[in-house]
Amino acid sequence: MDRRKVLALLGASPVLAAGTPAFARTAPKAASKHAPAMSSGLVNSLNPAVTPQLPRRIPLAPRLDTLNGKTIYLVDTDWGGMGQNSVIQEEMQKWFAANMPGVKTIIKVKKGNFVTDDPALWKEIADKEGDGVVLGVAG
Amino acid sequence: MSSEAGEIEQKYHIPVVAAAGSNVVSFGIGANFKYNTGMPIRYVGVPFPFSGQPRSVLKGYVEGKDTVSGKPLMQAIVDGLTKPLTDEEKMSGIPPESIPEPRLLAPATEDDLQALFKERCWTDFNPVIIPTEERVAAMLKGTSHKPDEIVKSAAGTFGTKRPFTVEKVAIVAVMAGAKPEYLPLILALSSMVPYQDSTTSIAQMLVVNGPIRKKIDMNSGLGALGPNCDANSVIGRSKTLIHKIIQGYDEGVTGFASLSNPLRYDNLCLAENEEELPATWDPLHVQLGHKASDSVITMFTGWNFINSTGWVETHYAPQNLMRDYMSSLSGMSATLLMDPSVAELLNNVQGFTTKAALAEWLSQNVEKTAESYWGNSIVSSMLGPLGEQGLEPYAGWRKLPGDSRIKPFNNARNIRSVVVGGKTASVWFATDFMPEKSVSIDAWA
Repeated sequence: MDRRKVLALLGASPVLAAGTPAFARTAPKAASKHAPAMSSGLVNSLNPAVTPQLPRRIPLAPRLDTLNGKTIYLVDTDWGGMGQNSVIQEEMQKWFAANMPGVKTIIKVKKGNFVTDDPALWKEIADKEGDGVVLGVAG
Repeated sequence: MSSEAGEIEQKYHIPVVAAAGSNVVSFGIGANFKYNTGMPIRYVGVPFPFSGQPRSVLKGYVEGKDTVSGKPLMQAIVDGLTKPLTDEEKMSGIPPESIPEPRLLAPATEDDLQALFKERCWTDFNPVIIPTEERVAAMLKGTSHKPDEIVKSAAGTFGTKRPFTVEKVAIVAVMAGAKPEYLPLILALSSMVPYQDSTTSIAQMLVVNGPIRKKIDMNSGLGALGPNCDANSVIGRSKTLIHKIIQGYDEGVTGFASLSNPLRYDNLCLAENEEELPATWDPLHVQLGHKASDSVITMFTGWNFINSTGWVETHYAPQNLMRDYMSSLSGMSATLLMDPSVAELLNNVQGFTTKAALAEWLSQNVEKTAESYWGNSIVSSMLGPLGEQGLEPYAGWRKLPGDSRIKPFNNARNIRSVVVGGKTASVWFATDFMPEKSVSIDAWA
């Protein structure tokens, strides 16, 4: 179905068909509850759609000016279980050693499983003055 | 993973780069950020699949390109940790409001509305009943609850805020083809969102117990699992539409089920044949702590659905074939759907005078090798880490030689039985479905 037609049916401006930033949509016009059908054969339908509520935006932490002399934690989230993916962290560690030897890297495997949080590890990284984290791999 | 990255960034002010497979990375960057975390976590993507690949391939991924930016992966990681934040990444507070959906759509022809509903992913791609005001008003007569009552707020995937009303559920019920008397059940069903999703072929099963079964003519007898009953079919379909419309499940945007599952068309919606239970067997809802007089819907989640194929023979007891078939399941849970004739044979001939007794026997007799048990990625990812941390029996099972035999259903409480069917064949299904939520339908009358 043509996107302009979809938007028209939703009561929205066809301008939207040109593409807009995520939070800059034009408000669709709500059809009046008592609006008559425009001509015979037209149907007034209630709108099934639910309006999602956007969460409070939280800024990211400031970035590092350089990685030289910094400690980066390579955290295996244990996707797949049983430490299968630490191989990727090991290969990342080798890459840093070969290409950015001034970066200290430490591999850690998250406790629990891939869907559970590990706040003790995050605290440990902070307490040991970790400068950055590469977290992964989710799939 | 976005929430963990966010926790590290927000609580400890440590920059994070998150890595995800190319199969799901768009969710982390897109819908999960926009509707859930509110933090534009910096992601890099690696090719999928990565699990199951040899080191040589994974090394190639690390030395290859980031599937998000197209840059070399490691350069993208370095950039993610060092490049100054953009204005978007510094943004704090409440973003501009999402645009409220109008209550009514613009008037249109039936054909255009059908096309629109498909375009917006509001259907199962079968035609729906257009929810006119008149039809929805008639549907709302099926409940005493007010149309503007909020059923639930945290309705979206991962609990994102998608508050929805009784009227929205009535709209979905109309679209699915429901009668007003089904509405309390469909409202109860809607209160269980968000439903579990996965990149795997996860599915849900709906089991209804109590007086509502008869009141709305659900089929718990002949042909109960087939397309033979208005209530079973329409209520099952309602769950699919709730998932898409209310929860906002959109394949490729908020969900990424590689094969998905045909069970998602009707969600195995069935009613237990309580009238044909052996006298000492409790119906499911009573086992779950409800009164026999309560009307209850129980949602199960699982993946597998294996049929007995033939009927029960004298020379091989039904529990033996159940044991054999269940050895192919993961071991985390099982639910047997059995014809009343099978329940009768198990009770009268084999001596299983309760569902629990059957579960206990199966728990002690289903076996598989340790290698096969851990070969299932759901088991290895969910239970493997528990074994690594010393939790038994998983810790012991991790240490066993691969060909050692274990009893994967070590907890008999994870084996359920539901009796359903019309007594024209002594057949059954072995499934790995596990009860997830069980809610009162009466509360929504």
